[in-house]
Amino acid sequence: MTANQVFKKDCKLMGNRFELSVVATDEKRANETIEAGIDEIKRIEKLLTTFSDDSETNRVNSNAGIQPVIVSRETFELIKRSVSISKLTQGAFDITYGSIDKSLWNFDQDMKSLPDAGTAKKMVRLINYRNIILNEENCTVFLRERGMRIGFGGIGKGYAAERAKLIMKEQGAVSGVVNASGDLTAWGLQPNGEKWTIGIVNPDASGQVFSYLAISDLAVATSGNYEKYIVIDGKKYSHTINPRTGLPVTGIKSVTIITTNAEIADAMATPVTIMGVHAGLDLVNQMKNIEAIIITDDDQLYTSKNINLRDA
Amino acid sequence: MKKIYLTVVGFSMLCRISTHAQTRRDTISTKPLNSSTQSSKQDSTQYNPRKLKLDEVNFVTSYYSQTGNHSAVTGGIGTESVTDIANGLDLNFVWTNNHQNKNTLAVGLGFDYHTAASQAYVSKTGASSPTGTRLYPSLDWTVENAKSGNTFGIGTYYSTEYNYNSLGADLHFSVKTDHKNGEFSAKLQGYFDNVTLIYPSEFVPASTTVVNNGRNGDGGHRDNFGTSPRKTYSAAFGYSQIINSRLQVAVLADVVGQNGFLSLPFHRVYFSNGKDTIERLPSSRFKLPVGFRANYFVGDNIIIRSYYRYYADNWGIRANTANLEVAYKVSPFFSISPFYRYYQQSAARFFAPYEGNSPTQTFFTSNYEYAKFTSQFFGVGFRVAPPTGVFGWQGLHELEIRYGHYSQNTDLVSNVISLNLGFK
Repeated sequence: MTANQVFKKDCKLMGNRFELSVVATDEKRANETIEAGIDEIKRIEKLLTTFSDDSETNRVNSNAGIQPVIVSRETFELIKRSVSISKLTQGAFDITYGSIDKSLWNFDQDMKSLPDAGTAKKMVRLINYRNIILNEENCTVFLRERGMRIGFGGIGKGYAAERAKLIMKEQGAVSGVVNASGDLTAWGLQPNGEKWTIGIVNPDASGQVFSYLAISDLAVATSGNYEKYIVIDGKKYSHTINPRTGLPVTGIKSVTIITTNAEIADAMATPVTIMGVHAGLDLVNQMKNIEAIIITDDDQLYTSKNINLRDA
Repeated sequence: MKKIYLTVVGFSMLCRISTHAQTRRDTISTKPLNSSTQSSKQDSTQYNPRKLKLDEVNFVTSYYSQTGNHSAVTGGIGTESVTDIANGLDLNFVWTNNHQNKNTLAVGLGFDYHTAASQAYVSKTGASSPTGTRLYPSLDWTVENAKSGNTFGIGTYYSTEYNYNSLGADLHFSVKTDHKNGEFSAKLQGYFDNVTLIYPSEFVPASTTVVNNGRNGDGGHRDNFGTSPRKTYSAAFGYSQIINSRLQVAVLADVVGQNGFLSLPFHRVYFSNGKDTIERLPSSRFKLPVGFRANYFVGDNIIIRSYYRYYADNWGIRANTANLEVAYKVSPFFSISPFYRYYQQSAARFFAPYEGNSPTQTFFTSNYEYAKFTSQFFGVGFRVAPPTGVFGWQGLHELEIRYGHYSQNTDLVSNVISLNLGFK
């Protein structure tokens, strides 16, 4: 009997590089399983995309302020779950985030100053998950105000990863990893019998790992300002906008969420960043089965209470 | 005997420049959640902590069952058992590079101003300057291995005053025990000094002309004849141990050897037969001090620092020092430390007071530094280290001012005020 090995394949989907790995003895079986996972991600990409005119998301958006739109049960349930996360995070997570008025201020590399508070608030006036009207019986979605838009950028990757994992498990994969550029979910054990681990990178240094975490049967998602940010008056601003103030988020270098499923991990990374260390960790600490690691711009590390810091 | 007043005003600055070479761990410091620095940041996000309802606490576990439908289409993972992370996750820190070191460069500058009435009498007419100043810059470079806590460093020091200059160099290292509770340290130092041969005015050798090839004397007294060297070598060893979170102790022992011109050329000695001369001391000296230190933390705000030292040298001096200081932390940025020190020493073999030395002695001195005496030194220090910097200046991170009153039972009294500034 041949030994267990890791087989992997990657592809570019939903604007991200997805890498699927399975542990198997047989290469052919492994590849078939991975293909099934990739197909599932492709299916979800098609479902949630805003790039084709007749996609569900586009139809909902173009009927904002006009009329409810019938969507598939799958999309409906995803929107419903998104709204529940909005309620949980006091609106810091919001799929209507795309309703931001870019004519007033747009985040771009050459920005020299922030918009004033009044303009900023005007910019985000249409971001409001409460204006998503769902009809369970008819399976319809209605965006109440004109100009409102929904998008699944903050949760779609995690949803797809979780679905791909489910499909691959149904195909018989007892161990594997679905990794969407750092947002990942892992199950089972490595061929050497140890848990899957991830290294957490110091956002300052060029990819240097400063700590690692065992993540078998867990999902991890990270959001950070280290790739996309602007500097105004010596302060770093992330490209994420706070939906309450309309101003870009500052002070946090990266947030890593560790929980039991990738959809929640993906969805929670941005709101914890927006809420800030105090309110963000307060939320995570009260919740069961979810932990967070936050690194601030001045290199302070904060963790939620069930994370034990150990020297290797 | 007339009371001698010695006033010393000391000023020293210590500037520490720390560089962190590739210290992954050091650039990210961990802080507990209740740290006070957070409160100023939370307001700006406009999101405040709130108490969650029970279903929100269980949000993750009941995520898919909320929809009441576990089919694959709803993204549900059904009734599959979910990993429980209530037991905690270990975040393991790694050292990616064995050469992670913390380099510290400490630059110090000290300045003393002292007045001593007797100094005026180096010249028999009392025309010598009664004041003196001493300047002493120092440089120390220490490398600390961030993982083991071991250090190695070199330092250099220079001190100059009107009749004495000193150049020192040292090598120091420390090693920590396995759990970092104990530390062994060693410092090897060498001082290469020059004593300016300022003779009392009546002892200037008659046959020579005034030659200013050494340091010039103080104002008004031009009787100097170059310099004579003095070398000091010392090895200082220490072992400190953290007994528990409240108590730390240390044992210290030094070995010091000196040779060269060990007396001072302007110290007069009057023999029992009335004849006067300059003191003469051996050209070598060996010293062995041994000390013990204990620091105890009482409550959250008080540290008691105690110190005892026994000293013996081959000139016959035996001495005991006992020191006690209580540091009271009024606030995280301000502390008050009263201190008291008791010192007792026996006389050196060749000391005798005025007209006490016999002219047949090989070595003789009447310098009361070598006499039998006891002394007390007590005072109080104030230290401030506000987070915004002293006087709001971020570069000056701490300031300490200490006042002490010193008195010897040989009628010497002195007051010392010293100011310490710490710069980043």
